[in-house]
Amino acid sequence: MAKTILIVDDSASVRQVVSIALKGAGYDVIAGVDGKDALAKLNGQRIHLIISDVNMPNMDGITFVAEARKLPAYKFTPIIMLTTESQEDKKRQAQAAGAKAWVTKPFQPEQMLSAVAKLIAP
Amino acid sequence: MSTDDDMREALDTFVTEARDLVQQLEEGLLDLEVRPAAADTVNTVFRAAHTLKGSSGLFGLRHLVQFTHVVETVLGSVREGDLEVSPGLVSALLPCADHIGTMIEGLAGGRLEPDAAQAAEGAALLAGLEPYLGDGPGATAVRHAEDAGAAPERSWRLSLRFGADCLRNGMDPLSFLRYLGSIGTVSRVSVDDSGLPAAEQMDPETCYLAFEAELLSGAPKEEIEAVFEFVREDSDIRIVPAEHQLDAYVRAIRAMPESDRVGDVLISSGAVTELEMAEALHIQQEQAVRSGTRPVPIGEILVEHGIVPRPIVDAALNRQRKTIETRSQDTQTIRIDAARLDRLIDLVGELVIAQSSTGLRAGAGGEAQSEVMRLVDEVRHSALALRMVPIGTTLRRFERVVRDVCVELGKEVSLVITGGDAEMDKALVERISDPLLHLVRNSLDHGIEAPAERRRHGKAAQGTLRLNAYHDAGNIVIEVGDDGRGLDREKILAKAVERGVVDADAVLTDAEVHDLIFEPGFSTASTVSSLSGRGVGMDVVRRNVTGLRGSIEVETTRGAGTTIRIRLPLTLAIIDGFLVGVGPSSFIVPLDRVTEIVELPSGPLGRDCMNLRGEVLPFIRLRDLFDIPGEPARRQSVVIVEQSGQRTGLVVDALLGELQTVIKPLGVLFSGLSCISGSTILGSGEIALILDVGPLVADHSEREHVRARRAA
Repeated sequence: MAKTILIVDDSASVRQVVSIALKGAGYDVIAGVDGKDALAKLNGQRIHLIISDVNMPNMDGITFVAEARKLPAYKFTPIIMLTTESQEDKKRQAQAAGAKAWVTKPFQPEQMLSAVAKLIAP
Repeated sequence: MSTDDDMREALDTFVTEARDLVQQLEEGLLDLEVRPAAADTVNTVFRAAHTLKGSSGLFGLRHLVQFTHVVETVLGSVREGDLEVSPGLVSALLPCADHIGTMIEGLAGGRLEPDAAQAAEGAALLAGLEPYLGDGPGATAVRHAEDAGAAPERSWRLSLRFGADCLRNGMDPLSFLRYLGSIGTVSRVSVDDSGLPAAEQMDPETCYLAFEAELLSGAPKEEIEAVFEFVREDSDIRIVPAEHQLDAYVRAIRAMPESDRVGDVLISSGAVTELEMAEALHIQQEQAVRSGTRPVPIGEILVEHGIVPRPIVDAALNRQRKTIETRSQDTQTIRIDAARLDRLIDLVGELVIAQSSTGLRAGAGGEAQSEVMRLVDEVRHSALALRMVPIGTTLRRFERVVRDVCVELGKEVSLVITGGDAEMDKALVERISDPLLHLVRNSLDHGIEAPAERRRHGKAAQGTLRLNAYHDAGNIVIEVGDDGRGLDREKILAKAVERGVVDADAVLTDAEVHDLIFEPGFSTASTVSSLSGRGVGMDVVRRNVTGLRGSIEVETTRGAGTTIRIRLPLTLAIIDGFLVGVGPSSFIVPLDRVTEIVELPSGPLGRDCMNLRGEVLPFIRLRDLFDIPGEPARRQSVVIVEQSGQRTGLVVDALLGELQTVIKPLGVLFSGLSCISGSTILGSGEIALILDVGPLVADHSEREHVRARRAA
């Protein structure tokens, strides 16, 4: 069975393009519009990898990652943070919260695919 | 539904979303104008720009990414409190929001990249934001997934000691090994389980295993290193060339260009990545601080930490040593104050004079005397060589000029510099720079045609401008040549007649016509451009060149280009001259101007001209010119000088022979004097004036002209 990835970003187009790319590579994808929405989606699903933006309304990415890590089922799930070059401090915060992988924005779909492929197979 | 359809749909989503964001941006900016300190608004505005940038990157919209990046950077510094909101800032940012909006609407219409006008508008807007940008990062480009070229496959040994927390962080070691298989062939994987504790002490969440593997891959080392970027910090990852490949690296390093830094050699050979080098330098520094001793050589650290095998480091060290050896042989230089050098030259000048004075007294004979002469000559040559600098630095400065002017004029020109190592007096180099600049601009402006016109004439769209320098018979020659349209004889002649420079019915040779461009007030450009001035150019160039005792000539072929050739003495400090006497006064004529010397024919003569082997030779009586009292000598001589292809005789009383002498400039009081370029002290202690042949001849023919007209 294909592995499931959760993409969390407040931009619909980012969610859409990342989904297209990941589905094309053979993953299943579900999407969350912000941290709060994503946290709700974690329950009752088996998610193998999480991709999350940092700047989001309602609940930002770093809080979301910290909350997710508190759930037993997501203690060791690989998490990719979408950071920017100008936000080195955010990257550090995200790593401390438990997201050890990252992709720097702006990125192209292939870059996202190779980051995901390093962590899990489809 | 195909992926293409999906992407089109995603792009539509982006357009809708972007319209929203642009609106947020605009409203936010307007709000900031009223309430500059509203933190929530600043946040909204920043996030709008940030999201726009991120999403544009996803669709590969480079222009939008670069543009919004700058806007985001400015807004970022507002958010960080480094920059205050001002009316100026808001007025600079608002049109940026409009520009983004225009781009988005273009996108909705199916245009992915801006047209030329929009690109220009974008650039202008960004220029307006420049004052608000700190030293932060400038434009950033969308990173493209690197396509693996057909690089030769290399064999690597990988030693992977993952951190104990690896699994807890969601990282699966086996997953990285699997991913390695996508960039090369993995073989001989072995597991090192020596770290594994007894079963009862084992923590199932901790990673105890280490791996060794061999990878055959055409990917550069950086790419292999990037596989492990997420675990790099906590793990010990070593990627070294396999043993049987060491020779290849050593050979590559031997063949590399010179470098005096071991690190640079290792990085460009591909054996070490920049990250690894940074790490090693960090270790080096830490060790030095801790032990308080001199830092351990970087090569030792690289070997000790298993980053590179010793043979490769040794090869790099060898390369470095060779570079340093050749360099120390080549140029051991010391810098000295130019004033001291001038003082030395001055003294050598005095020495030359004193020596010619002793020469006068001791007579020509004597072996000791000739030995002293030889030595003084050598000292003089060496002293002058001290002032010599290669002209290349000055010529290379024009690269920028050519680039800028081309942009301004919309022309494509490549600059070819040759002979940059030809040396000349530093003082001359400085003074020739401006005339050269003018010639270069002139070639670009009037000589080389616009690309379209060039193509019409069957030429390459890109023009060529050549700067060439070489030594020729004790002079230095500098050429500025282009492959442009060449000089237009008819146009020049018409203009010259119009300006009254020549008579309408004058019959002129091609060379004479071309020389007209150096006449004062002459310009053929029908539209005056901001570049090559308003017709004050070429005559000023010629005046500057002749002021340096040089000459200038033009060579041109219609439709194929023009070359302007400047000929200058190597130095201004010393002159080879011919000493002549008129009554009690002595004058020096620069020797390179003298073509021959004849006796002034006795008997009746035309007014100021004589018959020289069937040709008319105008002459100047120096006695008359300088109002020297006394009767002329019974037998006078004519020193014939040549200037710009025209020969003129100088009538003198006595010929006193060749001499080499140091030029002493005349005081400021005489700076306006046009026929005298300097003075010198003779061995006898007397003063001789050095004649400036160019103006002397030109002034004279002008005076003759005036007189002839008056007479008519």
